[in-house]
Amino acid sequence: MLYEALTPREFLEFVASVRRMDAATATRRLESYSEAFRLGPELEEPIATLSNGTRQKVLIIAALLHAPPLLVLDEPLNSLDPRSVRIMKDVLQRYVASGGRGVLFSTHTMEVAEQLCHRVGILDRGALRGEGTLAALRARVEAGDASLEEIFLRLTEQDVGVRAAVDSLDDASV
Amino acid sequence: MSWREAVRISNVAFTELSLQAVFAFRQGNVLPADRAKDLVARSRRRVVQSKVVISAVLALVTLGAAAFIRQKSLNPEILSAVPSGLFQSAILTGLLSLDIALLWWTGVQMVPTLISSGVLPTLEPLPLDARTVRRVATLLYLRLFDLPALTVLILTPAAVGLALGPLAGAAVVPGAVVAVVFALALSLLTGRFFLHRVQGSRGGGGRSFVRWAYLVLWLVPAFGMFAFITAAPAFLRALAAMAVQGPSPASTLLAAAFPFSFAVLPAIVAGGVGSTSIFSSTTVLALVGALAVYGALASWAVVWLTSSVRSLLFLSDRGRVDALPASASVRPSGVAWAVLVKDMRIASRTPGYAFLVLLPILDAAALGLLTYATPTSNPVAASLALGAVTTAALLATFFGPAFFAIEVVAYSYGRSLPLSNRSILFGKVALISFMYLLGASLILGLALLRFFEPLTFAGFILAELPAVIGAAFLELGLLFRWAERRGLAITNLYTGAWFALAVSIPGLAMVGLPPLLFEVTQSVGVAVGLAVMAVVAALELGVGSVVAFGRGAS
Repeated sequence: MLYEALTPREFLEFVASVRRMDAATATRRLESYSEAFRLGPELEEPIATLSNGTRQKVLIIAALLHAPPLLVLDEPLNSLDPRSVRIMKDVLQRYVASGGRGVLFSTHTMEVAEQLCHRVGILDRGALRGEGTLAALRARVEAGDASLEEIFLRLTEQDVGVRAAVDSLDDASV
Repeated sequence: MSWREAVRISNVAFTELSLQAVFAFRQGNVLPADRAKDLVARSRRRVVQSKVVISAVLALVTLGAAAFIRQKSLNPEILSAVPSGLFQSAILTGLLSLDIALLWWTGVQMVPTLISSGVLPTLEPLPLDARTVRRVATLLYLRLFDLPALTVLILTPAAVGLALGPLAGAAVVPGAVVAVVFALALSLLTGRFFLHRVQGSRGGGGRSFVRWAYLVLWLVPAFGMFAFITAAPAFLRALAAMAVQGPSPASTLLAAAFPFSFAVLPAIVAGGVGSTSIFSSTTVLALVGALAVYGALASWAVVWLTSSVRSLLFLSDRGRVDALPASASVRPSGVAWAVLVKDMRIASRTPGYAFLVLLPILDAAALGLLTYATPTSNPVAASLALGAVTTAALLATFFGPAFFAIEVVAYSYGRSLPLSNRSILFGKVALISFMYLLGASLILGLALLRFFEPLTFAGFILAELPAVIGAAFLELGLLFRWAERRGLAITNLYTGAWFALAVSIPGLAMVGLPPLLFEVTQSVGVAVGLAVMAVVAALELGVGSVVAFGRGAS
């Protein structure tokens, strides 16, 4: 939930103030990010009137604006259009590649984690079931070519349950 | 589907609307941890209570008007010059105007909630035909006004009937009906304007002015009674002059003006055209013409309402984005100032918060106007200034703690920002001080037109200012400490709203003490009294600062 009665520009101005940024840097970064995410007229519309995808872009820009050493994001790709997803993925990779900075994000989409992350932590009902590089996790479940989805299901002991659930759906649809 | 089905669906939709209106959880408020059944019952009860309160005010006004008509006890000097029929019409004009103002005020507050609740769009996927949905929309809209509107429609003819006879009571029915229809149509019109130009207003430029202007308009009906009482003597004097003159172009215009055209009907029925002393054949013609026009307008308004309600209720608050260029330029400021600006921007698009800012200021403006308009035989600038700063300080201090509600709006995001309690506190204190300064300046600015004592007035405003800041520190400091002790996030005050009210008591005592000491010491001299006031206020600022920033402060 954002400050829905503010426009993205007003909201980001508030965030830049709280982050004690100078006007030139804040404006330069906002111009770059809003251009990349194609936020034009929306910058002056109240957040309450924007689509979920546009709100997500605003939140992402708010997180990136002050270029923190550690970027913490919760489901950053939710509601984004394919173009913005691609840009966001590149932004995250370059963010880490530029050195001295890290990104920690949560996702329910295993393909995204598999594609972007150097290390993955698998959380299930509040408990950390596994943590490490993809290779280390594969070694742990003793499956050299397993996808992260398969690793997740095995580590959380849900692989059998999934199969049973699908079978029961087949029975139900007959 | 039948009307019965529409009523059944609208019952469910209205329950949802009540829940949203009372608990505002779509705006980010946290629901109390009670059973859903209890929450629903509580929200239904509160909505009924609100309607009863508004209806009681309407009933009081109606019965008061009827009593005035019977007793003519308002101001004998003025009344002796106003013919009885004209007097009755004047009182009923005021009554119908107040009916519209109060119903409109109800609508202006409720329509945005109705639209943003999204209760109708949730019906869209259900297998309901368009006619049923339209009926549900109409019923839902009417239910916002049901009890107050029925009070107007039933009590007005009954009260006028008791005062002037049953035929006169029947003659006021068209006026009451048209007043209700116009109020409902105005509510819908302003609700639509609110959606597009206030809540959905783009940032920057003159749009802020439009938003604040609307929000002042939003509050003005609340001052309807005050305006009525203030304007009544002048209106009656004008009528007295008109009656002496007899039929004239001015009386023709009056007969054609709404709601006088309807208000004069019971008087004509009760006492004949002659009881007003302003009617000629031309005036009668103007009256008949005006009644026909207003009647047609009201009929058109009914048709417009039934066709527009549905489209308005389906207007999502996520509307289209105008393809106007927008600047990405931002000007970050100090954190406390940023909190203040954020609050003002949110308030400019949110009537509930705007109410907190504007009510003390408009109260002060009304008081200033009253001071200016009321002749006093022995003016004392110091007494006037003392009353002004005390009023402005008490109003600003009373509403101060409520500004924390704004922080609740985006609490989950706000807590992720490095926003210290101190910065929030300074931002809120700046807002409270601004309200005090604006309120006191408005009263005394208007008073300057009568008593030109700018230095005295400025002296009082500045002497009281530290007490206002100290009281704000005290209230907000106590609020922070209480939240911390309870382990509550400071912004999650919904579960402890009583404390936000309770802290205003020591705050009010704090701002009240310096003026009280001035009263005690002014016999020595105004300068001495003012000095005592300033010193005590400065000491209070110290006390407030210790509570806000001393040991144990968060």
